[in-house]
Amino acid sequence: MDALLESLTTIGRIFFDVEKMSQALPIVLSAFPVSVFIGVVSFVLAIPGGLLLAFMKMARTRVVRWPATFYVDVVRGTPLFLQILIVYFGLTLLPFYQTLIREVPQLKQPFLFGIDFTIYLRAFFVLSFNSAAYMAEIFRAGIQSIPKGQMEAARSLGMSTPQAMAFVIIPQTVRRILPTLMSEFILLFKDTALLAAVGVAEMTLRSREFVASTFNQSAYMVAAAFYLLVTIPLGRLVGRLEDKLAESEGGGGAKRPPTLLAPEIDAEHVVAHSEGIPTTGSSPNPITGGPR
Amino acid sequence: MSDQAIVRINDLRKSFGDLEVLKGVDLEVTKGEVVVILGPSGSGKSTLLRCVNRLEEPTGGEVWFEDTLVNDKKTDINKVRERIGMVFQSFNLFPHLTAKGNVMLAQQKVLKRDKATAAEVAVRQLTRVGLADKIDYYPAQLSGGQQQRVAIARALAMDPHVMLFDEATSALDPELVRGVLDVMRSLAKAGMTMMVVTHEMGFARDVADRVVFMDEGVIVEQGTPSEVFDNPKSERTKDFLGHIA
Repeated sequence: MDALLESLTTIGRIFFDVEKMSQALPIVLSAFPVSVFIGVVSFVLAIPGGLLLAFMKMARTRVVRWPATFYVDVVRGTPLFLQILIVYFGLTLLPFYQTLIREVPQLKQPFLFGIDFTIYLRAFFVLSFNSAAYMAEIFRAGIQSIPKGQMEAARSLGMSTPQAMAFVIIPQTVRRILPTLMSEFILLFKDTALLAAVGVAEMTLRSREFVASTFNQSAYMVAAAFYLLVTIPLGRLVGRLEDKLAESEGGGGAKRPPTLLAPEIDAEHVVAHSEGIPTTGSSPNPITGGPR
Repeated sequence: MSDQAIVRINDLRKSFGDLEVLKGVDLEVTKGEVVVILGPSGSGKSTLLRCVNRLEEPTGGEVWFEDTLVNDKKTDINKVRERIGMVFQSFNLFPHLTAKGNVMLAQQKVLKRDKATAAEVAVRQLTRVGLADKIDYYPAQLSGGQQQRVAIARALAMDPHVMLFDEATSALDPELVRGVLDVMRSLAKAGMTMMVVTHEMGFARDVADRVVFMDEGVIVEQGTPSEVFDNPKSERTKDFLGHIA
């Protein structure tokens, strides 16, 4: 009994040291906006890219379809961490990047939350390009999940294909993919932690610095709490949106696929990621179907 | 007769891969005429209808709508479709819009009517199909029969010169069929030109000016309802009507 109590106390001291946690709190808190800012901006930037890739993947001509398929397969088939390493160090070696820095020295000045703009730029670049590949599949599956009769009805009324897309197909798609898209944001937000490895002073890096200087893990727990602060409410919201969607759908006459519920945020989620919307006519792909 | 023809179909052919669905169909529909197309499933009647507004691309032959060759690559198909209303078996209402929104959308985007005009027309057409009290309902809140009547109002709002009905009542529960047929009946009475693919023999007998019987991609027989129903000439027609009755 004493032995048990003793090991519990040890665990508490290593991971949940109140004093260390209160010291770590302001440090991690100061990096919280960095993580959120990078996550939100990268997500927003990824949306047009994802849409473009989705339309390219649905194109009739192979010349248009092929580059998008290649891009999505490569990005989804390689580790994000590797992509970060390539972009963070590789980009700076490119002549145009060096010229840019020389011509616009302000980019090297602290921009927001004490971090210079080139750091953000590279973070946005790698995360949004990565996320766009995942979104392409979400958008494509979403658009293809709209019954064919919707496009036919719109066209039979004299609408052009772009009009039918804009006023009939896309509005329905947005409603359907919103939960999946929010799950994608949650993943993206958690992925910002990988930037710690290349020196971006976001929450994970700041807590690691604290851990390194105190030999105590408590700062990680503080960081975890901040991640959960974002991911848990958003995850609940995803669930609520799904319920609402399930309730409100069913009109339009044509039968819709039985389920398109985005998976919960847990270990399985990563595997099921982007498979949340049933696709028609596409066989599972070992790359695109795999974990991130 | 032919100077008043709204739809003229000459030697229409359509294949899906190796499967030849239409094997040379000739049909003319005059202004104000109600043509009911009957036939067993797979006889090509829906495909025929869908070739009229080019939802299906004909493989051969000609489809004329008024002075326009529909299956000409140079034809602006959207202009043609403005004037051809279509009602589908599966309704195909836009689920993100109310009944009124469904009826307004194409008026605004295609005919460029202003919002007030489109709304006024929508209310008038929805009243016409007996749904004055449902204008702000979403499709999911309506029964199948009500949804199909909204779909009819949506097509009518475009002031079509011809209406195509592709098995408009086939997906409905029996008790909801009548309301839709009543609307179609009153449309016919009001002088609308209609091409109707249906299995409703009673409707065909009462409302049709002409009944066309199709089988295996060709028109087997056509005539007035009494000619076709009471004195069918072809064995295949007799056989089909025998099965139905």
